[in-house]
Amino acid sequence: MCPQPIIQFRRVSKVYHKGGADIHPLDEITLTIQEGDFVALMGPSGSGKTTLLNLLGGLDTPTSGEVIVCGQDLAALSSHERARWRCDHVAYVFQAYNLLPVLTAYQNVELPLTLMPLSRRQRREHALKALEIVGLADRVHHRPDELSGGQEQRVAIARALASDPDLLLADEPTGDLDAHSAQEIMSLLIALNRDYRKTIILVTHDPKVAHAAHRELHLEKGVLSRDVDVKNQRM
Amino acid sequence: MRLLLLNLLRKPLRTLLTVFGVGVALFLFCFLEIVLAAFNAGVDMSDASRLVVQHKESIIFELPMAYRSLIEQTEGVAGVTTASWFGGLSQEPLANGEKREEFFAQFATDIERYLALYPEIEVPADQLRDLLSDQMGCLLGGKIAERLNKKVGDRLVLRSTIWTQKNSSTIWEFNVRALYTTGSPTFDETMMLIHEKRFDEARQFGRGSVGLYILSIADPERSAEISAAIDARFANSPYETRTMTEKAFNLQFVGMIGNFQFLLRSIGSAVVLTMLLVSANTMMMSARERTREMGILKAIGFTDGHVFLLLIGEALAISLLGALAGVGLAWLLANALHYNPKPDFFPIFYLPGRSMLAAVGLAALTGLLSGVVPATAGMRLSATEALRSV
Ligand SMILES: Nc1ncnc2c1ncn2[C@@H]1O[C@H](COP(=O)(O)OP(=O)(O)O)[C@@H](O)[C@H]1O
Ligand SMILES: [Mg+2]
Repeated sequence: MCPQPIIQFRRVSKVYHKGGADIHPLDEITLTIQEGDFVALMGPSGSGKTTLLNLLGGLDTPTSGEVIVCGQDLAALSSHERARWRCDHVAYVFQAYNLLPVLTAYQNVELPLTLMPLSRRQRREHALKALEIVGLADRVHHRPDELSGGQEQRVAIARALASDPDLLLADEPTGDLDAHSAQEIMSLLIALNRDYRKTIILVTHDPKVAHAAHRELHLEKGVLSRDVDVKNQRM
Repeated sequence: MRLLLLNLLRKPLRTLLTVFGVGVALFLFCFLEIVLAAFNAGVDMSDASRLVVQHKESIIFELPMAYRSLIEQTEGVAGVTTASWFGGLSQEPLANGEKREEFFAQFATDIERYLALYPEIEVPADQLRDLLSDQMGCLLGGKIAERLNKKVGDRLVLRSTIWTQKNSSTIWEFNVRALYTTGSPTFDETMMLIHEKRFDEARQFGRGSVGLYILSIADPERSAEISAAIDARFANSPYETRTMTEKAFNLQFVGMIGNFQFLLRSIGSAVVLTMLLVSANTMMMSARERTREMGILKAIGFTDGHVFLLLIGEALAISLLGALAGVGLAWLLANALHYNPKPDFFPIFYLPGRSMLAAVGLAALTGLLSGVVPATAGMRLSATEALRSV
C-alpha cells in the first residue's frame, strides 16, 4: 500500500540538449493518478509518452518539477537508490524484446525476485504463480526464442507481476502483436487491474486498446491536451 | 551469478574460441618462460655462497693443480674443489651398427670435495662408497642415466672431443657406480662426475692442470672481498685468475645466447600481446551487443553496480578459464609429464611457479582490462538510452 495519491507530477519538465538545440519532450506537466487506476497514455509519436513513463519508473529524472510516486520524491534519490526503489515498487513491460534471451521463461520471471529478500522456495512459488496467472504454466522452461510474440509479452507481464509491484508501466505492449495476441494481453491487463488492484499506466496508439482503460491522457508536444474519464463516460 | 554463467553459454562457440585464444596465448607465454628458464638454468641453480676461479683470459685456458692448496689457505674459504670439462659423447651402439652419440656435461673432479660443496646433490650412501673405491667409477645424474638407459653396475663408454689417453685413444670407459638425485627442480640432473686422479694420470697432455676451481665461502656477504684476495694472490704469475660468484660465472654462458633470448622474448611477447588483444576485443564486442539487455536489467531494478559486476565477471571468467587451460597444459607437459623437446640442449625443462603466477596474473589483467571498458560503459549507460536501442 502506498500513500495516496500513488502518482503526483508537479510542473514536471524534461529538456534534452541535442546538437545545440533544446528538445522539450515534457513541458510543465501537472498530474495526479490514484491507486488502482488504469490509465491509457496516448499521443502521436514523439509526444513524450515514453519520457513520461521513464520518469514514473525512476529510470530518468526530470529537469525541473517534482515526481512523487508512492510518496517518494524520485529526484531526491541517487541512481542506486532509485534502482532499489524500482525493484520494490514498479515493473515495466516494453513494446518488445523484454526478456533476456539466455534465460528460460521461468528464469526471466524469477530474475527480479533474486533482488528481494526471498528464499529460493518463495521465489519459486511467486514465479510459478505469476506464470500461471498469465496462462503459461506449460511454457515454464521455454526460452524466449521458442515463444511467440504474444507469449513473450505474457512472460514479461508475469515478470512484472511476480515482484508484486504497486505500479505497472507498459510502453506499447501490444504494438508489435497481431490483433488476437493484442486482445489477449489487454484482457490480461484488465484482469490484473480488476482482480489484483494493480495501478496500470499503459502507453498506446490504438484508441480501441485505450478504451479498456478507466482514464485516457492525451499528450501533444509535451503538454497534456486532454484528460478523459472513460469509466464515468461509460456509466 | 547464474546469469553470468548463462551469458557465457549463450554463444558457446564464441566463448570457447575466446577461452581458446587466451589459452593459446598463455600457453605460449608459459612455453617461452620454460625455454628462458632453461637457458637460465645454470643461473638459477647457482648459490651465493659459491665462487668460481677461472683463468683470467678465458675459460678455455687451464690453471695449475697446485693452486688448490693456495686457494684453500685464503682467509674466508670453507672448501675448494676442481672441475675440468671432459667434453665426451656417449657411444651407444645402434641396431644398424652405427653409434648414437649424445652430448651432456661431464666433469673430472675430486668427487668427495665436489659433493661437499654441492649439498643439493643426493647420493645413496652405499653407492657413494662404491664410487669412491673405484677409480674407473662415475656418478650420473638420474635424468641422464635414464636417457642413456644406464643403471648402477653398467659400463659407460664416452668419446672425448678434447682428451686423448696415453694410448692415443679418445675412447674412455667408466663404471656407473652411483646415481644422484636432487630435491630442487632447478638443479641440473644430467651431469656426470668422474675421478680427477684417474683422468689426470690417463691423459696424454695437460697433466697437472685443471679447468676451474669451485670454492665455498662461509659468508656470502664477503664474496667480492675474497674474490679480490684470490686474484691478487695470483697476480703477475704465469696463470692469473679471475674469481667470480657462481651466478656471474653461469651468466657468462647465458650472455653468449643473450641476443637470441632477447629476440625470442620480443617475438613471444608480441604474439602473446596480440592474442590477448584479440580476445579482449571479442569480449568487448559481446558486451556491446547487449546494450538493450543492460537496459532491461536496470529497468527490473538491477543497480549500476550489479551490471558492472556482471560484465567484468564475464570477462574475468573467460580469461581465467583460458589461463587454466593454457597454464594447465604447459604445467602438465613440462612439470608432470616431464616433456623435453631437446634434452641434450636443455638439461632443465621446467615451468617455474613464479611464471605460472605471472601467467595467471596476465590473464586476470586481460580480463579486467577488457572487462572494465564495457563494464564501465554498461554501468554509466542510462537505462532510457539502452532501451531505445532495439
Ligand atoms: N535521450 C534523448 N536524447 C535526446 N532526445 C530525446 C531523448 N529521449 C527522447 N528524446 C526526444 O524526446 C521526444 C519525446 O520522445 P518520447 O518520449 O520517446 O516520445 P514517444 O514515446 O511519445 O514517441 C522526441 O522528440 C525524442 O526525440
Ligand atoms: Mg515511445
